[in-house]
Amino acid sequence: MRRIPTLFRLAARGVLREARRSLLTASAMALGLALLMFTRSLADGGHEDWINAGVRMGAGHVLFQAPGFRESRSLDDRLSGKQAGAAMAALATLEGPLAPLATTVRLTTNGLASSASSALPVVIEGVDPKTEASFSQAAQGITEGRYLEPGDRLAAYVGRGLAERLSLSLGSRFVLTAQSTEGEIQGQLVRVVGVFRTGLPEVDEGLVHIPISTARSWLGAGDAVTTVGAILTTSRVVPEVVQAVRFDVGTDDIQVLGWREAYPELDAALRVDDYGDYVFLGILFAIVALAVLNTVLMAVLHRKREFGVLQALGLTPAETGFVVFTEGVLLTALAGVVGMILGAALTWGFFRNGLDFSAFLSEEMTFGGIVIDPVIVPEFRMVQVLQSFVSIAVVGIVASIYPAFRATRIDVGEALKFE
Amino acid sequence: MSTETLTDVAVRTEDVWKIYAQEPEDVEAVRGVSIEVREGDFMTMGGPSGSGKTTLLNMLGGLTRPTRGRIWVRDLEITTLSTKELARLRLESIGFVFQAFNLLPVLSALENAEFSLLLRGVPAEERHRRVRALFDEIGLNGLEDRRPGRLSGGQQQRVAVARAVVGQPTLVLADEPTANLDSNTSDSLLDVMERLNQEHGTTFLFSTHDPRVMERARRRVSLVDGKIESDERW
Repeated sequence: MRRIPTLFRLAARGVLREARRSLLTASAMALGLALLMFTRSLADGGHEDWINAGVRMGAGHVLFQAPGFRESRSLDDRLSGKQAGAAMAALATLEGPLAPLATTVRLTTNGLASSASSALPVVIEGVDPKTEASFSQAAQGITEGRYLEPGDRLAAYVGRGLAERLSLSLGSRFVLTAQSTEGEIQGQLVRVVGVFRTGLPEVDEGLVHIPISTARSWLGAGDAVTTVGAILTTSRVVPEVVQAVRFDVGTDDIQVLGWREAYPELDAALRVDDYGDYVFLGILFAIVALAVLNTVLMAVLHRKREFGVLQALGLTPAETGFVVFTEGVLLTALAGVVGMILGAALTWGFFRNGLDFSAFLSEEMTFGGIVIDPVIVPEFRMVQVLQSFVSIAVVGIVASIYPAFRATRIDVGEALKFE
Repeated sequence: MSTETLTDVAVRTEDVWKIYAQEPEDVEAVRGVSIEVREGDFMTMGGPSGSGKTTLLNMLGGLTRPTRGRIWVRDLEITTLSTKELARLRLESIGFVFQAFNLLPVLSALENAEFSLLLRGVPAEERHRRVRALFDEIGLNGLEDRRPGRLSGGQQQRVAVARAVVGQPTLVLADEPTANLDSNTSDSLLDVMERLNQEHGTTFLFSTHDPRVMERARRRVSLVDGKIESDERW
């Protein structure tokens, strides 16, 4: 232990002595770390965008539904007004970063939209116009007219594709047909007040929003809902929120779903994308590890005599290995600091407002049930910076172990031979 | 058996062999050498290249283990020591001077010379005092802060000698210390080592075939094919 400062000093000077080689290796590692930080923040930012788009296309990060509704999509599986109230009350107890940004209630059923020219199967969503306007992606994609407003009764807000296929325009009337809670097929005449476009054909051709009050009275649902949904500040708090509200609701009659369970397609798409990222990161780590391994191992092979001298002077093989290992660690630490600064500058300095991929992506590109926004805003978080640093540090440390081991195995007599 | 007591003996070997496994047949570098080096000796081991001088020197210094036979440094048998114990022995009892100087390039002249004291935990003030006194004695004054790359060959070898003797070891093993130096520098270096031997009683064992070194030795051992051919005292 007493000798550690001496060994540390030898290692530090060893790094400085081979300044050019150290600089080259540190640069490779620093660039690797900067790239890692940048790609991770870009991936995280992109994924958060996708999730945000997905949950706004759907019914939020966290959903309350009756058990079985996800599979049946039937009004038979609905929440009573009391249950919906309990769900809203549970959401209202959340505070700080867990508090929802927006909540909504919906009465959703499958039905048929018929005009004079045609009829198409649609998803009919009875919504609260007041809360839905700031909640739903569809509500924000108005291309003509307006969104539903409180007080609307027979208004309908339809996708552009549906409007085109049913030859509807603003003010046009058409009939929605669906099975009521009594099991009877009921029709409802509505009038187009607005047209939206999301970019997703299945949504633009198959979704109709009507006021929830109209839907309830038409389908005989009383004060029931099929979904209570909440948009949160970030997807990362979802597990915590789900756990908290499940506890608050305290009954199995209300199913609480996080976005991963609610939108398995989106979840799968993100996992596939994550997998690609992991492969990329694996390659990046391998490159960094090889750079460190190469430098430190070369240093050992070129400095056999020096390490032989150290042992002749009284260092143990383990202490010689410690010097080599410390050189690797110092190199990694140096690269880590430079890489973090570079990564932060690259991510936050140049791209804090987003990186525009529109030149490479079609604006209509869809993936996992969402429309991909061509502008990705990197998500720059301290925890992610530290994770990247630790990852690179681990790679650097692991890559230094073998050269250190080699240094402990030097044959001193052989190393000191004059050549 | 020698008539000296064990405490008079700096290093002693008994039927020491070093055999290197090699194809097509093993190489017997040292063959059954038994020798004693007394404290205060200033002796050379001569012989042609490949006679086993360096191998024997390395075994005496605990750098290489003999294939068989026994070695003692003073009264400590070193052939049974662990790697860690051998490192400690080298630190405390053996000084090395190499043909290629072998100073640590990342350290200054003073830091090189004080290295063994540093490893032993001698306080900085004491280390510096001892090294500076030694530098005065061997003509390295003013060169303390220079790195090896900025010293001449003779200066580097003097630093190496300072490094070898500063810890007052039982024995200094010098492997062809003058081979890379011109004759004036060699003479000057040998003056230094002779003076250290005479004034401080430092034991020197040289592996060499340099006649200038042999002329100054008070004992000459000659090795041929790994065996002692002659052992003369003057």
